[in-house]
Amino acid sequence: MRCKLEGRIIVITSGKGGVGKTTATASIGAAIALEGKRVAVIDMDIGLRNLDVVMGLENRIVFNIVDVVNGKCKLNQATIRDRRIENLFLIPASQSDNKDVLTPAGVEQVGKILKKEFDYVLMDSPAGIERGFENSVVSADEAVVICTPDVSSVRDADRVIGLLYARSITPKLVVNRIVPEMVARGDMLSHEDVIDVLSVPLLGLVPMDQQVIISSNVGLPLVMQNDSTAGQAFRRIARRLNGESDLPIQVPSHKKGMWGMLARKFSKK
Amino acid sequence: MLNALLKKFTGHKSSSDTAKKRLNFILVCDQLEVNDSTLKNLQSDIIQVISRYFEIDRDSLQLEVQRGKDSSALVFNTPILCVRKGLASIVSDKGDKGGQKSYKKKKK
Repeated sequence: MRCKLEGRIIVITSGKGGVGKTTATASIGAAIALEGKRVAVIDMDIGLRNLDVVMGLENRIVFNIVDVVNGKCKLNQATIRDRRIENLFLIPASQSDNKDVLTPAGVEQVGKILKKEFDYVLMDSPAGIERGFENSVVSADEAVVICTPDVSSVRDADRVIGLLYARSITPKLVVNRIVPEMVARGDMLSHEDVIDVLSVPLLGLVPMDQQVIISSNVGLPLVMQNDSTAGQAFRRIARRLNGESDLPIQVPSHKKGMWGMLARKFSKK
Repeated sequence: MLNALLKKFTGHKSSSDTAKKRLNFILVCDQLEVNDSTLKNLQSDIIQVISRYFEIDRDSLQLEVQRGKDSSALVFNTPILCVRKGLASIVSDKGDKGGQKSYKKKKK
């Protein structure tokens, strides 16, 4: 297709599972595509694919990333175009293989081709720090680490950050599933606490939002829901990634002000 | 905010403070690849050495971790009850204030 393009490959990873990597990949990918860039999101979780369902594209899979790496099909045969968002493409994982069918060398080769075809390539890394992680980071230029404000997630994020530094990548951090009420009463680590502990640059903050589940139920892009606070947060993250690094980071807050808090405080007693 | 202030005044410790303290400690242990028993041994050795010179309250010992940008420190905090008899002349300049020992270790 195009030849002179030199896209950016960004791995989205976390160490711990279930913190929102797949949701983040789908949402950031969709949001960058809405900004007008050509984006491919790639599910690297071989054997446990999910990015396709979250994006609502599960019925259109013919080939997958394993087929591409092993030369069983062309890249464009495995690429699924999202019909709702222009410029957004998915390359799904294989559901029947295990993570060892891919080698870092094979993925790196495909990475070079992907960079020429797309402005942004987002790699949705599997949980863990084994082969699946290796495969996801091997061709990455940048990394986004997702963590939630709980001790196990932050600990695993620290481990992954160490591994990324060892590959000379300085990751950017997204703190996901923030519950402002809990942070306010001191029962949840604040984003300042998390940054303090991890000492990496912050990319964005995403509040806990029921819309995430609702969107994944129906396979609709979260970022197209205007009433989704998480969706809006991901759109800001995408803009910051896509050159608008000056865009201020919004701290999730509960809408009721000090009086609301006072009222709740007294109503409890 | 208000709640946090209230908790501060009442001396109530929030669970997020505890989480942060625990995390800092865990991460330093992870990075140094020191296990719990090594730290326990270190702690008991330190107690032994200090006990030779001072009477200390073993129950209120605190082993804390302070993480900085390029280095982390293990901070060992103990109130000193009194100076052991016979040694008073040697250590008289230190009095019976709370003593603090810190062991700096480079992060990997």
